[in-house]
Amino acid sequence: MSGDRDLEQRYRRVLRLLPGYYRQLWEEDMVAAFLDSWLTGDPDEDECVLEFCRPGWQEVASVAGLAVRLYLGAAGAPRRYFAWGQAVRRAVLAVMLVHAVLGLNVLVRTAWSRRLFGLPAPPASLITASPGGVWPPVFYVVNVAWIVIFVTLAFGHYRTARVLAALAIVPGLVALLQAQLTGIMPAPFGPWAWWVLLNLVPVVAMTAFHQDAPPAARLPWLLALPAGYLLVIVPLMVVQATGNLAWVPDLPGQCCLLVALACLAHAPRAWSRREDGSGVWSLTLTLLGAVAGAYRIITLSDYLYDPHLIKVSLAELLILAAAAALVAPDAARAQAATPASPPHPYPG
Amino acid sequence: MTGQAFFVLTALAGGPRHGYGIVREVEELSQGRVRLKIGSLYGVLDRLAAEGLIEPDREEPHDGRLRRYYRLTRDGRRALAEEAELRAATARVVRARLGLTGPAAAGAAG
Repeated sequence: MSGDRDLEQRYRRVLRLLPGYYRQLWEEDMVAAFLDSWLTGDPDEDECVLEFCRPGWQEVASVAGLAVRLYLGAAGAPRRYFAWGQAVRRAVLAVMLVHAVLGLNVLVRTAWSRRLFGLPAPPASLITASPGGVWPPVFYVVNVAWIVIFVTLAFGHYRTARVLAALAIVPGLVALLQAQLTGIMPAPFGPWAWWVLLNLVPVVAMTAFHQDAPPAARLPWLLALPAGYLLVIVPLMVVQATGNLAWVPDLPGQCCLLVALACLAHAPRAWSRREDGSGVWSLTLTLLGAVAGAYRIITLSDYLYDPHLIKVSLAELLILAAAAALVAPDAARAQAATPASPPHPYPG
Repeated sequence: MTGQAFFVLTALAGGPRHGYGIVREVEELSQGRVRLKIGSLYGVLDRLAAEGLIEPDREEPHDGRLRRYYRLTRDGRRALAEEAELRAATARVVRARLGLTGPAAAGAAG
């Protein structure tokens, strides 16, 4: 084998995107096939090709796509990659669940404020004035769309969910850019942190739902939608209706506390290690904790004018860190597991 | 079965082939509509190998490198036959619904 050819070296550099175990099995074969696709058999032309040509972007994209599928593996993948794949898929579902619960809240509040289905008038403290303009109806549609996206994902229609989610985050970006350009941004960092961490990142992470991804446990996830509404939104509404909204943490604080509660609920399983798959949930919660923590840290800068709010925010971060520390060792065990042997035979 | 996997299995139904040989055969079979990139090809090949539908056949030296050939397994042959039957049945339904069956349609097509 001639290892000093430039085109070959460039392609091998691209192949470094792939996990080591996979390169061990397939790299030489992929390089041979790649060079076959370029070389003509004419020595002069081939020399030029080898010296000056580079792998095209489509070729690089195909390797990158393969790398995503391998690192975020499905059943049959080495254990650590399967754990990462499942953890990212569950974390994405959890974020989509948050969006869906918020969307359900918008639907219920709209129905209530319009006294549909014979509902009584809502308390005055629950009525918020609509700012008017084009954005309220747009965001109403977006909120409903998140419910559809969550259900579509839970039912395994991954491509549809990916397309809808990519469309659903566009109005938020446009509204943010508009607010930024017109100088009416309510806070410098919070809205951007929300959009990047809880819109853009999960939508990009939806690539983990590739064609090999195992189906999600549909019923528990679907039941989590009404459960999330009853256990989180309804108590918050009660607090708001009784005029105690000042006691409710802001959105980043709520994210930190919810993840912390989930970590506490999961900690006994993580410590007992009696149940298979507990490590994947620990890894999922660690990922969610990282997102919630980043959201809290970024939005700290919006409260620099108020030392009390800074202290509260830091307390929320501490609670999150302490709860995440309970499941972190289990998460580390899950993702650090030694890759298993490939399930199929190879020559040599 | 995905379209790419179907074409790769069909390419191997004609005999063992190496990686780039499969790419060329798939392009020819699909009349140029499917041009597999190498990353995509090996994504399909490793999945088919994991499912036991293809297996390595032999390795041959070529221009200082080893070309690995792949072949269909018995399960692969069976899976391809079932998929081909399914696609043919679907195509028959489509043709019937579009009114493309019968002597008139055959005449028009000819």
